[in-house]
Amino acid sequence: MGTPDRRFSFRGRSYPVQDGETVLSALARERLPLLHRSIQYHRPQGPFCGIGHCTGCLVRVNGRPNVRACRYEPNAGDSVTTENAWPSAGFDVGATIGFLTPGGVDSLHGLRRPAFATSLFQRMVRRLAGTGKPPTEAAARALVAPALEHTTDVLVIGAGAAGRAVVAALIARGVRPLVLERVARPPPLAGADLLSGTSAVFLPSPVPIGDRRFTLLAFREPAQGIRVLARSVVIATGSYDASLLFDGNDRPGVLTADAAFALAPPPRRPPFRRAVVVGGGHRSAQFLEAYGDHVEAVVAPGEIRPEVVRVANEHAVLLYPRSLLLAARGRRYVRSVRLRARGGGVETHVACDAVVLAHRRIPHAQLFFQAGAAMRWRVGVAAYGPTVAPNGATSVPGLFAVGSAAGPTPSEADHAETVADAVLQGTSAPAPVPNAAPEETPTELLGYYRELLRTPGHRRWIACPCVDVLLSEVEKASRAGYRGIEVMKRYTSLGTGICQGRYCLPDALLVLSLLEGRPPTDVGYITQRPPVVPTPLAALAALPTSPATEVIP
Amino acid sequence: MTFARASYRTVVVGAGIVGLFTAYHLARAGGGPVLVVDRGFLSSGSSGRNGGGVRQQWETRATVRLAREAVQAYRHFGREFGFNIWFRQTGYLFLAENEAELARLRSVHELVASEGLDSRVLDADGVARLVDGIAPGAAIGGTYLASDGTLYPFPAVWGVYEAARSLGVEIAFGVDALGVSVENGRVAGLVTSKGPVATPTVVNAAGGWSGDFSRRSGLEVPNVATRHEILATESTKPFLDPMVVRVSDGLYFSQSMRGEIIGGLSLPHRPGTAAGQGSSPAFLTAMARALVDLIPRLGALEVLRAWSGFYDDTPDGFPVIGEDPRLPGFVHGNGFGGHGFMLAPATSKRIALAALGQSTDLDPAQFSPARFLGSTRPATTERLQLG
Repeated sequence: MGTPDRRFSFRGRSYPVQDGETVLSALARERLPLLHRSIQYHRPQGPFCGIGHCTGCLVRVNGRPNVRACRYEPNAGDSVTTENAWPSAGFDVGATIGFLTPGGVDSLHGLRRPAFATSLFQRMVRRLAGTGKPPTEAAARALVAPALEHTTDVLVIGAGAAGRAVVAALIARGVRPLVLERVARPPPLAGADLLSGTSAVFLPSPVPIGDRRFTLLAFREPAQGIRVLARSVVIATGSYDASLLFDGNDRPGVLTADAAFALAPPPRRPPFRRAVVVGGGHRSAQFLEAYGDHVEAVVAPGEIRPEVVRVANEHAVLLYPRSLLLAARGRRYVRSVRLRARGGGVETHVACDAVVLAHRRIPHAQLFFQAGAAMRWRVGVAAYGPTVAPNGATSVPGLFAVGSAAGPTPSEADHAETVADAVLQGTSAPAPVPNAAPEETPTELLGYYRELLRTPGHRRWIACPCVDVLLSEVEKASRAGYRGIEVMKRYTSLGTGICQGRYCLPDALLVLSLLEGRPPTDVGYITQRPPVVPTPLAALAALPTSPATEVIP
Repeated sequence: MTFARASYRTVVVGAGIVGLFTAYHLARAGGGPVLVVDRGFLSSGSSGRNGGGVRQQWETRATVRLAREAVQAYRHFGREFGFNIWFRQTGYLFLAENEAELARLRSVHELVASEGLDSRVLDADGVARLVDGIAPGAAIGGTYLASDGTLYPFPAVWGVYEAARSLGVEIAFGVDALGVSVENGRVAGLVTSKGPVATPTVVNAAGGWSGDFSRRSGLEVPNVATRHEILATESTKPFLDPMVVRVSDGLYFSQSMRGEIIGGLSLPHRPGTAAGQGSSPAFLTAMARALVDLIPRLGALEVLRAWSGFYDDTPDGFPVIGEDPRLPGFVHGNGFGGHGFMLAPATSKRIALAALGQSTDLDPAQFSPARFLGSTRPATTERLQLG
């Protein structure tokens, strides 16, 4: 496994790295490292999402800022450093900002006076803002790669289980699809063109170009621009483990189940010894099956399902059903959690070294929004997903959805065959799409948050970890009459950071629904702006530009 | 009942920065009760979609003077409105790639300097000192005015919104203005998607939709909505102070207070509001190419998001301010060609005066709606419609 002399440097030490390992997995052999401080208050942030969306593992690599340590596979001799922290991420002087401003910094109303100090304030704030130092020219030049243009009949986005099943069915019908997969090293797919380490970032509403309807922009790590022209597109982007609001919800040691599976795929030992798992459903059971020996307790907003109880009992795991998770405590790393039974009750402290979120999986639905597909509110996860027909068709002709990105879909073994047939038949007529989804049980979370927002001390909680928006700022703006998620985003900057709202928005919709006294669907939704994954300018710059005279529709 | 009253002294269509400022000035001048209606939510139009640039370098004296007044107003915005708009006077830098462009910028410089502003003409070295990491040979020179700058548009909107409301202005969102009702040859009311209201005066401050609204009201106008796209990168520590604008292709960008590079580029979009405020692959690739060619190290920055908004363009590049001679009571406050935000504190005072039936100091040959009704060509044009 790997050449023994492949090493990268970090904090003056050199670390060995094996094939397929990322910076984060190399650093997280014992426990999760503390790599990053939050942008405004310099709170310690830990690796959280593990799948390349959040700010928790941003590092500087060879002069390039904000590199996701969870996705970057280091080369020999790479220089990895922490950003936005001085002298180190473990002890950061910048954290005094947080202590000095217990109510948060009000950048909308504050620092206006005295007038003669305006430019001084501005210089100071600019110096403090911004995540890393700007990139070096050498870092940019190292990213330059020739762009890739690909024309295909069928494009499949996502090579997870659902995507692979459709790909297999298409191959069996004599089609060679192009498959994009975000993971760096997926299993091979004979009979298809597979691009790994590739993120689809922009799928605009289709405009016919010859007989190819769809144009997709994508990029392959680190910065190869890709443009695909396709007749049909199957989206199989899957779903992800959501965040949850509590005190310290992005502190080192708090992570999603996605992150645990990505960092330490079983049987590798996970970077924690006794975790508290949040969630009483299927994902929680999956997690216990994989890491049960390293789990201390299961906490669930609602009931804990029998499949979880069964595995939990095998590993002597404590169960806390219908409980509020109030706080993750510890000086820097998580040392314990504070819980309280819902509906009142005494507080409990559970010692732990990790909090793993496995309570809610949300579809990666951004591309459906962009392509103009009809969306529906899914009460089970309290999130939007595409409206999908039994054969996988969305409301956009030629655009199909499978797997958990599509929501609960027919589970018959031949579903992939049905979808493949529909893809090959083509869908020339935009037919209204019947809702094929089975009924879902409404989420517990609305009631959970109703109770949580009454607990004292919730005002200092972080509503948006990427840009350090406090829950109190959201409540204050709501009281001042700024209603709806679109206005709230602009007023507080919530959802405008690196993850583009992927983690804060699902909770913010519920909180706003409670604050405004109207259903989440009336709170609105933030436009899914391209690119859906942050994309290097170098990758986009390498793509051919259209003629300057071409009118853009 | 959607509206608090059945009739108003003035109804303003559009709750962007121009409409809100106008309503604020009307209320201050005792011109109430005032109603503002908007088809979307607060900041859903161009006031929430622009790059925040505020400059005084223009090709005509009239625009330079309005811009200078607007800069003074934005400097004192925090004191008057209680919101910090982070107006940062770190300059506007126009880049020339050839002698013809530089000659054009020189004439702008002479006009701007004659108005007492400290404009400077720079050579390639002067440009390189202001733009860290610019590619050699990317510009032969340019002009720079240090008192130009950038602001954060949202708090400016919040500030005027709250100030107008505290003066009793009523502001209704999600209300589409369908046209005016006319009695005895003059405006008698506004027809909306939420019902009619009576008013003798309607102000069209609908930004990109103002051409649509005039036409819905039976008035043929030359306003054309053109979509302009913009993007923002991830944020880094500061390395760029001025707003940079390239004359040849309208590339503009600056680094925000938060450290993002925010900017756009002029591309030929299909005119009209029908296509909506979306983004295109053509823009993302062209903009990325332009930025990376100009400052190679930007290639290692990541784009976080892209969006677009409408410019409300007129044939001569001047806004349209004043009562429409064809329909008494219909007052224009539009046609700002993508520069409504930067001029709003100055122009909205004149729009409010026009709505009150008073005269303004604006030259009718340049600003009044009547100038498009004759067959003569406009005497002057404002062509520095960039950034």
